[in-house]
Amino acid sequence: MTLVLPTAAPRRKANFTAYELTVFGVVVALFLLALIGPMIAPADIYTSNMLETLLPPSAEHWLGTDDQGRDIFWRLVAGSRLSLFATVLVVILYSIIGMIVATLATVGPRWVDELLMRITDIGLSLPGLVVSLGIATVLGPSLQSGIIALALTGWPMTARILRTTMRQTMEQPFVEGARILGVSRTRLMLKHVLPNSLDVLIVKWAGDISFTMLILAGLSFIGVGAQPPSPEWGAMISGARGYMSIAWWAVAAPGAAIVINAVAFALLADILQVRRDPSLQA
Amino acid sequence: MGVDTILTDGIVPAQVRRRPESLLQVDQLSIDIATRDANVRLVDNVSFGIGRGERVALVGESGSGKSVTAQALMRLNSRVKLSGRVQFDGTDLLSLSPRQMTAMRGQRMGMVFQDPMSSLDPLMTIGDQVAETLRIRGVSKREARQRALDVLDELKVERAAERLDSFPHEFSGGMRQRVVLAMALVGEPHLLIADEPTTALDVRVQERVLDLLDEISRRRSLAVLLITHDLGIVAGFADRVMVMYSGRIVEENEATLLFAEPQHPYTRGLLEAVPRADITVDRLRSISGAPPAPAARPSGCTFHPRCDHAMAVCTSVEPGETITPLGARVRCHLYGEG
Amino acid sequence: MAYLRLISQRLVMTVLTLWGLATLVFIMIKLIPGDEAQVAAGPGASPEQVASVAKRLGLDLPVLQQYLNFLLRMLRGDLGTSVVSSKPVLTELAAVLPSTIELMILASIIGTVIAFPMALVAATYRGKAFDGITRIIAVTGGAMPAFWLALMLQFFFGNVWRITPISGQHSFGISSPNVTGMPTLDALLAGDMVGFLDAMAYLILPAIVFAIPFAAQVFRLLRASLLGVLASDMMLPVRAKGASTSRMVLRHALPNSLLPTVSLMGVLIGGMVGGAILVETVFARRGVGSFLANSVALKDTYAVLGAVMFVGIAVCLVNLVADIITLMLDPRIRGAQFRAGAK
Repeated sequence: MTLVLPTAAPRRKANFTAYELTVFGVVVALFLLALIGPMIAPADIYTSNMLETLLPPSAEHWLGTDDQGRDIFWRLVAGSRLSLFATVLVVILYSIIGMIVATLATVGPRWVDELLMRITDIGLSLPGLVVSLGIATVLGPSLQSGIIALALTGWPMTARILRTTMRQTMEQPFVEGARILGVSRTRLMLKHVLPNSLDVLIVKWAGDISFTMLILAGLSFIGVGAQPPSPEWGAMISGARGYMSIAWWAVAAPGAAIVINAVAFALLADILQVRRDPSLQA
Repeated sequence: MGVDTILTDGIVPAQVRRRPESLLQVDQLSIDIATRDANVRLVDNVSFGIGRGERVALVGESGSGKSVTAQALMRLNSRVKLSGRVQFDGTDLLSLSPRQMTAMRGQRMGMVFQDPMSSLDPLMTIGDQVAETLRIRGVSKREARQRALDVLDELKVERAAERLDSFPHEFSGGMRQRVVLAMALVGEPHLLIADEPTTALDVRVQERVLDLLDEISRRRSLAVLLITHDLGIVAGFADRVMVMYSGRIVEENEATLLFAEPQHPYTRGLLEAVPRADITVDRLRSISGAPPAPAARPSGCTFHPRCDHAMAVCTSVEPGETITPLGARVRCHLYGEG
Repeated sequence: MAYLRLISQRLVMTVLTLWGLATLVFIMIKLIPGDEAQVAAGPGASPEQVASVAKRLGLDLPVLQQYLNFLLRMLRGDLGTSVVSSKPVLTELAAVLPSTIELMILASIIGTVIAFPMALVAATYRGKAFDGITRIIAVTGGAMPAFWLALMLQFFFGNVWRITPISGQHSFGISSPNVTGMPTLDALLAGDMVGFLDAMAYLILPAIVFAIPFAAQVFRLLRASLLGVLASDMMLPVRAKGASTSRMVLRHALPNSLLPTVSLMGVLIGGMVGGAILVETVFARRGVGSFLANSVALKDTYAVLGAVMFVGIAVCLVNLVADIITLMLDPRIRGAQFRAGAK
């Protein structure tokens, strides 16, 4: 019996399942919606229309109207840029902080590494939402405060994970080789070690976006984040809470929008994670 | 070829040789694993038998498929697909339901694994782990504990009674391996599969564990399948040796004959790689190159890229099985009929 | 000895963390816009009053001196004073803390009761339909905004279907003497079953809101951990002994997975204190979270920062306890300690 065998070790191809493709599709759609949302939404969602307040969902107003007579569906569409992009901005900001901390810890002398990692440990064990609340209170309530507060409290996990991978990358032969060839430390970091470690971050980002979206909306809900009449989803829920008993859809709809986004990104994170570590596969 | 003639004189042909009553009979066993993009054959049409109380060694480099074969006999790895027949004591193991197979394990066949450091549950006491084999079968707690103690005594674990309630981390490597052995032996199996049981241990401890295994197998007339990459430890232990290369058995013979007259160039290479006290060689020769990955086996005889005797035919035609006058089962064109 | 060393390491880390938090809070106080003494003295205070407050609070001292004084005050348990109520923050928090603890305990129990069996079944039947479905449920459960979930449950169960009370701790007129500060426990202590059930009815929805993301996280970690142990070398001999899958999962994989799971549960229970800000507010329950949210609403910055400090301490202690439990569950560490004690 002869065996028909490939000549080279097979490369793992990206054969996506229908489920995975669906999740990817939804995530892309959410991003596109956030991009064009404010452009396609009609202008009257920012002005009151006292003749059409608190209408239940209908053919004309798919998700009903709020206490100012504004169409909730279109407000959600318009607010999706604010909600998703603010979340993404937070993740980008703290990823940058995390990267800087991890890079300093990797290239710096031992004591810098020790110091930064102890600070990271402290940051990791503090309750993020509570500290963010404190920071946002001090800065004064606004969406910017919320973003800054979350950026300042979100970085430790990223720093910790990145530093571990960077250390591992630094020990790989190609880095050693480049160092022998006289490549400067900074160049080595920027051109080789950092890009190699980003791979780890990408998986983390999807989960981060999901999680951050919940916290950011939470801050808006307490009143230290975005303020009504902003169509930011957390703020919309906060604003509609008072009349929930007569127009529950005004609370349900923005929450559902958050859930759809958060779940989509969480599922994306789950897929990416399983692809990195197939032992978790169902 | 002087030795050859001398030895051949007194040899009874393999077919006529008196063999112990068959315990395990493996016929045309193939093992495949499905990866994301292809089916890879790890073990290809392997056949062999083990008699009652017989000690057989399965030797090969890592990646040759010997451990996969060992695990397949107990159907331990559920990720691979098995085909062929594995007859054990009159039962075809491959046709059993998972539940029936579970009942076979531990009771009729036991297995010992390579690394005693990672083979034990760190959170369960030694006594409980050894007794578990019996507890699964409904033996009372008291009796299971007593029998666990007896086996540990038999395996010369000092102060075994006191140490039943110790945790694995309190044991040395050699002692842990005895515990692992005890877990396999306490169910009084007919066959013990020992997968590299001494590789992780240092040389002196290795010898003691092997001696113990030797003693117990004789006393209990326990059949042993010893899986190893080290022909050195096989010499004093096995009655019969099988050499595996790239998922196939390339040579099989009585241990004494195989060591005296290795037939397959691969077997010779392996033997030359073993430091031997009785033969002085100028240098240790080992086989150059590495065994092929199962997904990228060479055509023809899979050993040809590393073989000193490779001929044109070896690159294209897979050698069939031949029985030499010495009684060896060999897969090599040097001994082919043509 | 390894045991004691590890515990003292954790203790040192906890102290360092609290010091870091105190420093952070101090910086935040300094960053509050406006004159600190003016804020503390309250609006409409005369310049003389402001000056005396500044002197009393040591605000005329150099910043470093102020920082040291601040740390000393923290060490004495003085978390500052609420500008609104003029009461010490610690006193106010101590009064509402039991209510939050009650909520967290019930939530962790519900979450554990949901997560453990689900994870055990999913790991046993890995790759089957149950496993796939529970994984998606867990991801979804973990991505629910707590305050929204709270609002929706409250609306449908309370307002629409009228199954549970809408908000508060207990019904009007049903109240047991306050002993522990936890209405359910107080009712039990008073032998008042009606009061207990009443308090439970108020407690159940908020507890479920906490339990869902808690269960989701615990489920995911426990499942991954169980699968990790099941795939490890350790399980081959167990399988070779003839153990069934359920035995492998329950007797071997579960104990070995408990260590990381307990650590995570500590972190999650600590995180609940943060979530309490949102959930207690929605259900109008007394508690640390609603105290924080009220202080934010009243712009009582000192109370907010004092409460932040308080919650930080609570979270660190919960984590510390979880760490110590984890250490005690591990015979490799526990055994070493016993041996050292015996000889």
